[in-house]
Amino acid sequence: MSPLALLEGVTYTYPGSPRPALDGVSLAIEPGSLVLAAGPSASGKSTLLRLFNGLVPQFHGGRISGSARVAGLDPFAAPARRMALEVGMVFQEPEAQAIAETVQEEIVFGMEQQGIAPAEMRRRLERLLAELGIEHLRGRRLATLSGGERQRVAIAAVLALEPRLLVLDEPTSQLDGDGAEAVIGALEGLRRRGDLAIVVAEHRLERLLPRADAVIAVEAGRAALLAPGEAAAVLRSVPPAVELARRLGLRPLPLTLGAAAAAFRGRELGAAPRPLPAPGAELLRAEGLAVRYGAAEALRGVSFSLREGEIVALVGPNGSGKSTLFRALAGLVQPAAGAVRFDGAPAPRGARERTARAGLVPQDPALALYQESVAAELAETLRHRGLPRGRADLEAAARAWTVDGLLDRDPRDLSVGQQQRVAIAAMLAHGPRTWLMDEPTRGMDGPAKAWLAARLREHAAAGGAAIVATHDIESAAQFATRVIGLQAGEIVFDLPAARAFAADGPLPTQVARLVPGAVTLEEVAIPCAA
Amino acid sequence: MHPASWVGWVLAVMAAALATTNPFYLAVILLAVVLVAVLAPREGPGVISFRALAVFGGVMFALSLGIAAINGSYGDHILFTIPGPEVPSWLGGLRLGGPVSAEGLAGAAIRGLAILCILFAYGVFNGAVSPHRVLRSTPAALFQASLVVTVGLTLLPSSVEDLRRVREMRALRGAPGGWRELPALVVPAIVGGLERSLRLAEAMEARGYGASPPLPAAPRLAAAASAPLLIAAAWLWFYETDWRPLAALLTFAAAALLWWWWRAASRGRAVSRFEREPLPAAERAGLAVAAGAALGLLALRLTGHGALTYNPFAGLPLPGFEPLPALLAAALAWPAVLLIARPAPARGAAERDGRLAAEPAP
Repeated sequence: MSPLALLEGVTYTYPGSPRPALDGVSLAIEPGSLVLAAGPSASGKSTLLRLFNGLVPQFHGGRISGSARVAGLDPFAAPARRMALEVGMVFQEPEAQAIAETVQEEIVFGMEQQGIAPAEMRRRLERLLAELGIEHLRGRRLATLSGGERQRVAIAAVLALEPRLLVLDEPTSQLDGDGAEAVIGALEGLRRRGDLAIVVAEHRLERLLPRADAVIAVEAGRAALLAPGEAAAVLRSVPPAVELARRLGLRPLPLTLGAAAAAFRGRELGAAPRPLPAPGAELLRAEGLAVRYGAAEALRGVSFSLREGEIVALVGPNGSGKSTLFRALAGLVQPAAGAVRFDGAPAPRGARERTARAGLVPQDPALALYQESVAAELAETLRHRGLPRGRADLEAAARAWTVDGLLDRDPRDLSVGQQQRVAIAAMLAHGPRTWLMDEPTRGMDGPAKAWLAARLREHAAAGGAAIVATHDIESAAQFATRVIGLQAGEIVFDLPAARAFAADGPLPTQVARLVPGAVTLEEVAIPCAA
Repeated sequence: MHPASWVGWVLAVMAAALATTNPFYLAVILLAVVLVAVLAPREGPGVISFRALAVFGGVMFALSLGIAAINGSYGDHILFTIPGPEVPSWLGGLRLGGPVSAEGLAGAAIRGLAILCILFAYGVFNGAVSPHRVLRSTPAALFQASLVVTVGLTLLPSSVEDLRRVREMRALRGAPGGWRELPALVVPAIVGGLERSLRLAEAMEARGYGASPPLPAAPRLAAAASAPLLIAAAWLWFYETDWRPLAALLTFAAAALLWWWWRAASRGRAVSRFEREPLPAAERAGLAVAAGAALGLLALRLTGHGALTYNPFAGLPLPGFEPLPALLAAALAWPAVLLIARPAPARGAAERDGRLAAEPAP
């Protein structure tokens, strides 16, 4: 069978960029196959995906060489209207791809543009609503849907044109755990249909890696098409179970948790729990915090205390009150009842005074970057806090966040990953003892999460404390010393990390299910024989 | 009510409010608009509460009176005098302060009334129909352009939200707030808005929007040529009264050219519609009433009948009041009849209304 999509020696440079974003990429996608594109942020994954429907170079401009053939068309020259019939594309952010007002209008939009007859539109609409499990959403306004629901609507909307290739660019990176599961479940459903080729860029490899026919490993603009087993051996970030098998030197590598458990049977894997810093004096205390928005109770009687050396992972579904808790702690909303205490004394009232001691990093902090250099961003925070801001002070602040190489760069020219780091550094440059972070791992790749975990551990070792809201259990296990679960505005559990992430705890990690007593890879004691 | 009915109603109110300077008729139009406003549904995302609209309208009205007072005015009935500087005559007769006459205030109040009518009508339309519903009923020739406007309108609230979030993040970094903060707020919000627009444009391109074959040159030229023709026609009609037949001919020619463009544009776009809202017979009748009222008032104005014009500077006479124009103005309340009766709306519309209403706020 001839391939559905064929790229040959494609090299592409964005307009105004000195280096090519893609360098000599050659690969073939077979009809009906599921292909996973994996690699760190800014490696060229998104650019590669945009080759398939000609957004690169037709929408983005720039210089391109090499040739491409997708479903018999040349994507570098065919009009977008024609390409949309063969290649459907779903983007990262649900908000930035909705055109219509309601679910039904959104799904029929592409068909209307192509002039498809209303009876045929009706038929396809009904089939897609059923296939993606969104029948109940038909008449809803898009603005009222959750992220996971919106991404499934986006998939239905592009499938309405019955393309032969579906391309998804990190469709779950902006979603919470449940939303991501629903989207990946929908992809698995489409996979079973078999006549549609799917190329998906994704950081969550656990469920897709074992089901993929092939993996495009992307690194610094180069891409190679590999079998999943081979890819598991060479990719930089893989699921913890695969990583453990890699460290044990197993071949072939198990791709599922079940296969890993079978492969590890009989090996004596011991656990060496990570030593945690002993909690010191109390830095922050919430006493019976309650917050109401109109009639809705967002928080109800939340009490806890945070001590030096503690890193708390705050978990809970969307709408459980995590962001509201941060807002109440930082003084952005006044609680209906309860109080916040810093170092045993009542906390000051205003947000500016409170965040001097308990710095809050909200979601997507990169939105607030506006200075022309990273140094100026850091200097601004120091200026507002009345701290010295000479070159040496800026360099020290930048070193603490390992952004010292970027001091003279313009934040807008940085990669997304670098922007995330700079934005967090700018929000906390004044060195508060307590850090409050609202979903900092959202949209982060493996190396960025490791960077964040390292900063949090350093902070704890230096006697600081933090509360980090997250949906990402595996990365939370890297830094948390304690886990608080929030549901419907109430604390439902407050456990030490070792118990929360254990196999019989509320949030078992992959490693915990394989090696009793350990929750992260570094806690697994690998016998010398292995 | 169908979006087309609302558009027709707003246009009729605008035409009527601009056709007369008689405060009695304007008051009748305003009453009609307010009656409709009270009964109108509010479903669009850009719903402005009627209260906010009334406050805004009141401010506009007061402003109109205030400006008239500052400018000073001529007339026999001087109410009071505002002290003001002497402005040199070479500034073209601009006045600041000076005597305030009852005539001047009356003239300003009449202008304010007309503005209030149009403003309220637009506010009602805005709240009653979401831009997406209007889009669904847009004729094919205007569909692509309207889509861009509609999508742009929906981006606006997210930019406002960005502004709020950036302001909050500034506070979290200890920034003091105030006017000096403005660039720090506006720059990220604009950059964020631009980036969002680019991503949306990319998504629309990927879904095959707007790549329909461009219109041939001839109809586009025809549409362009109609504008100078219309301008010439208007000029001849108003300033060269002897040439009015030629003006009428030019208007007719321009209309024909536009009609040709419209036909070509409607056919050229290979766009189909999934659902079209039907226009019920009662609303067709309503549109006819709107057209009749607006055209009737315009005709009366052009022929100088019915005391439609009123000049307060002619010694503050009592404005005339005749039954026919008053009736035409009152006819602009026709949506109220439809809204009160609400003869079981079309099934699709009822379903949608119900769903939209039943949804909890996000």
